[in-house]
Amino acid sequence: MSWYYIEGILIQCGYVLMVVLGLSLLTGFAGLFSFGHAGFMAIGAYVSAICTTKFGLSFLPALLLGGVVAGVVGAGLGKLTLNLKGDYFCIATLGFGEAVRLILENWEYVGGARGISGIPWETNLKSVIIACAIGTLALMALVRSRHGRSIIAIREDELAAEMSGINTFRYKMIALIISAVYAGIGGGLLAHYMTYIQPKMFQMVKSTEYTIIVIFGGLGSVTGSIIGTFILTFLPEMLRSLDNWRLVIYGLAVIVIMVIRPRGLMGGVELGDIFRLPARRRAAKLAEERIKNMNGESAGEEAQR
Amino acid sequence: MNWKRLIGLLCAIMLLLSAVPVMAEEPIRIGWIGSLTGDSAVFGVNESSMIKMLVEETNAAGGILGRQVELFTYDTKGDANEAINATRRIIAQDKVCAILGPNASGQCIAIASVLEQMKVPDISTVATNPKVTLNYDEATGKFTTVKPYNFRICFTDPYQGAIAAGFAYDELNATKAAIFYDVSDDYSSGLTQFFEEIFTNKGGEIVVKEAFKSEDVEFKAQLTNILAANPDVLFLPCYYKQAALIAKQARELGIDAVLLGGDGWPSDQLFVMAKEALQGAYFVNHLDVNDPTFAELKTKFETKFNIPLDLNGFMAHDAYVTLVAAIEKAGSDDSEAIADALTEVTVQGVTGTIKLSKEDHNPIGKEGSITKIVGDGYEFVMKYGLGQ
Amino acid sequence: MEMEQFLQQMINGLSLGSVYALMAVGYSLVYSIMNFSNFAHGGVIMVGAYIGYFAMTAANMPFWMAFLLCGVGAGLLAVLLELTVYTPLRNRNAPFLYYIISAMGASIFLENFVIATIGPTYRTYPQVFSHEPFRLGSLSLSRIDLMIIAVAAIGLITLVIIIDKTKIGLGIRASSFSIKASQLMGVNVNFTIFLVFLLGGILAGFAGMLFGMKYTVYPTIGNITTKSFVAAVFGGLGSLPGAIIGSVLLGIIEVLVSGYLSSNFRDLIAFLILISILIIKPTGLMGKSSEDKA
Repeated sequence: MSWYYIEGILIQCGYVLMVVLGLSLLTGFAGLFSFGHAGFMAIGAYVSAICTTKFGLSFLPALLLGGVVAGVVGAGLGKLTLNLKGDYFCIATLGFGEAVRLILENWEYVGGARGISGIPWETNLKSVIIACAIGTLALMALVRSRHGRSIIAIREDELAAEMSGINTFRYKMIALIISAVYAGIGGGLLAHYMTYIQPKMFQMVKSTEYTIIVIFGGLGSVTGSIIGTFILTFLPEMLRSLDNWRLVIYGLAVIVIMVIRPRGLMGGVELGDIFRLPARRRAAKLAEERIKNMNGESAGEEAQR
Repeated sequence: MNWKRLIGLLCAIMLLLSAVPVMAEEPIRIGWIGSLTGDSAVFGVNESSMIKMLVEETNAAGGILGRQVELFTYDTKGDANEAINATRRIIAQDKVCAILGPNASGQCIAIASVLEQMKVPDISTVATNPKVTLNYDEATGKFTTVKPYNFRICFTDPYQGAIAAGFAYDELNATKAAIFYDVSDDYSSGLTQFFEEIFTNKGGEIVVKEAFKSEDVEFKAQLTNILAANPDVLFLPCYYKQAALIAKQARELGIDAVLLGGDGWPSDQLFVMAKEALQGAYFVNHLDVNDPTFAELKTKFETKFNIPLDLNGFMAHDAYVTLVAAIEKAGSDDSEAIADALTEVTVQGVTGTIKLSKEDHNPIGKEGSITKIVGDGYEFVMKYGLGQ
Repeated sequence: MEMEQFLQQMINGLSLGSVYALMAVGYSLVYSIMNFSNFAHGGVIMVGAYIGYFAMTAANMPFWMAFLLCGVGAGLLAVLLELTVYTPLRNRNAPFLYYIISAMGASIFLENFVIATIGPTYRTYPQVFSHEPFRLGSLSLSRIDLMIIAVAAIGLITLVIIIDKTKIGLGIRASSFSIKASQLMGVNVNFTIFLVFLLGGILAGFAGMLFGMKYTVYPTIGNITTKSFVAAVFGGLGSLPGAIIGSVLLGIIEVLVSGYLSSNFRDLIAFLILISILIIKPTGLMGKSSEDKA
């Protein structure tokens, strides 16, 4: 394998990881599912690309601005929809993601369907590694803090969390805003790697792909999301020589994982825990419990046994 | 494993190693990337099959410069990031000297920076966006320099849109035109913009402009508005699937305007899907259908793969013959020499004489072949270029 | 002219709405019992369209036979998905998102399996109905549209009768209220779920074939089902009459938006309506109240 080729995939892993980390907080820790994160990515990508191409801003402030705007939009979306029950929130985010893309398609200032070209090539291995390192550390620190535990408490049992004095709406909002900022920065990195963006790149399929990664890596595990990103980004590349059978296998793999190992690779466990076996067993048990609890919340009536 | 087997294995390895130097010269490696899965798979499969067939033929005839040709093809799923990955892999790992495809402008623009970094030329088949070969400054809205390693074999959106508008106004004597375009598609938006510009400049009027989206199949709501505006000509800059469905629904509603399309139209499917509705329609084509090489290539392709040959296949053919000529001219498979040679050679392709310009890497003076749909086939109407 | 144009648009909207309805009912039926959005439904519709196509071209079957075969084939495929994918999840009490992701995996699989084996080419059904539409003055309604409206009406009425009047239907209604309780009351839940997938699949098969006849057949037909999904949410997920009314309304809204506002913003408005409905009345026009679903 040539390094140049691997480098390309690693850069891709980098910006995908930014989005997945954010989604991991929202889905894995706060228990909210989003099918609209491609919309936040699009916002980050477009804002940062407009800043660098049209206003001559340099890469870093443009990237951060993209993240901030995505976060603000996330706050707006959250204000409207966070009171919705699980699957309805999910549907609302789906609508949001599609709406963002449709607006971009019709907006001539950003090139409509033809998109923005000539974006400076700023994203390289170094910049994605720095972004991901900061992103991972910040997320790790958050989930281990008091606020992080409050967020997890909402996932475990929203009613009980509310009872024990946690402002559930506020913490759900925080999780959504942070995940939107991550997605926005991921989008900015993507734009400055591709040097070209068009609305077509931010279809709903993208949101689904990222959610699949989070679940594959295991809900409630930051390291799981990282491992999941690497495996699921490299896998399709490994299968490249299969041409059009590639996605057949990918689809099949998704189903098999869901059916055989629903808690994902590292559900509820961090990589560090593996070296502390008793802790790992305890955490694994906890993870199973959590999945049962989540089920109790969202689709309790299905319980059959 | 016992020692006898070990010796046997060693002998086998030695044999293999000693066989390497006696083997013929290294093959010339070329690549094709494009959509083999996803929405535009139908176009990508057409291109890759055509190039596979041509490579086989070249090899059977002794190869290029006496060397065999080895082809690598990779799927991009119609996704720009996949296209970048495929390009990195095909250049760095498979060590190709030139790339053909991918079959969409967005992907071609995205891979430009990789091509420049690795100094490998790419000839795109159907990427019609001007930004594919030219750098564009978003701040000033102007084209700046030519991209050194991006070439194309087809004419561009502005050129084609202008041809369609000119033909409609000058030859069809249309004064009222309706445009029905795909708002989610860059090709369609490009054609629309330039058709509108030229047609209005010439003195015509765009009476109604309606939009749809790529995955749409139902068009009657917009067509009802078009019917009410009563245009002389209805311009449909889209691919054949939508063109056929729109034509059918337009005729059902009673629209009798002349239908006019671009190079996304030509396909056998057009006849299967909407033969009656499309009678008398015109479109801008790249090739002259009376040309005997056209029919010969088509029969050969269709007997081999049992899928209909679309325009993408023809463009892939021309991209391939241009590349072969450039490799021969360069005298080696050095990718920079090939990039230089690409603007030097003049090739006779199925879509006309191809000579790529040094200034913008577009084909020079390629005229549109206005083609009319009559009965079960196409009828060549006229060559129409700009400046007429 | 103005009035005629409006009437024509209403006809267009109705025929578009009936296509959505045939697809949306499958979503709603599954949702009413399983509480998840079966995104593999689009894949089943696509396979149905291909079954009908090959029955009529390769096997030379008459229209009605191909039509029935389509329903049976798609119904069996839906059941197969239920048995291989959803049953293990159900046995494990997996959260609803696992169902959605598996369903999306299944739809990626089906779509690309068809591309890899049959190929991505667009295919056209042999002509069954004349292309000449019924005309009244300047108004027109194509024959296939009439067929779709009729099949949608007959299929949906039959379905409503099954659910409202038969014992099996009672089981479905009971299960959709509470699977646990209905099981205690002696309803064979596994059989009920099996049946729901079969019915949804049969309708998906019909929808696929009619869609293929009206337009064309290709591997990514399933994408259009996003719209019927919006329609199902619009009418209230899990409610059959809601799905039908939602579909027809969405069809008419889309047509009116593209007819009188701007065709560029048609889908945008469709999705904005989706979001607003969720905010104002999450259960849709006819959905069960949120207490039931909590």
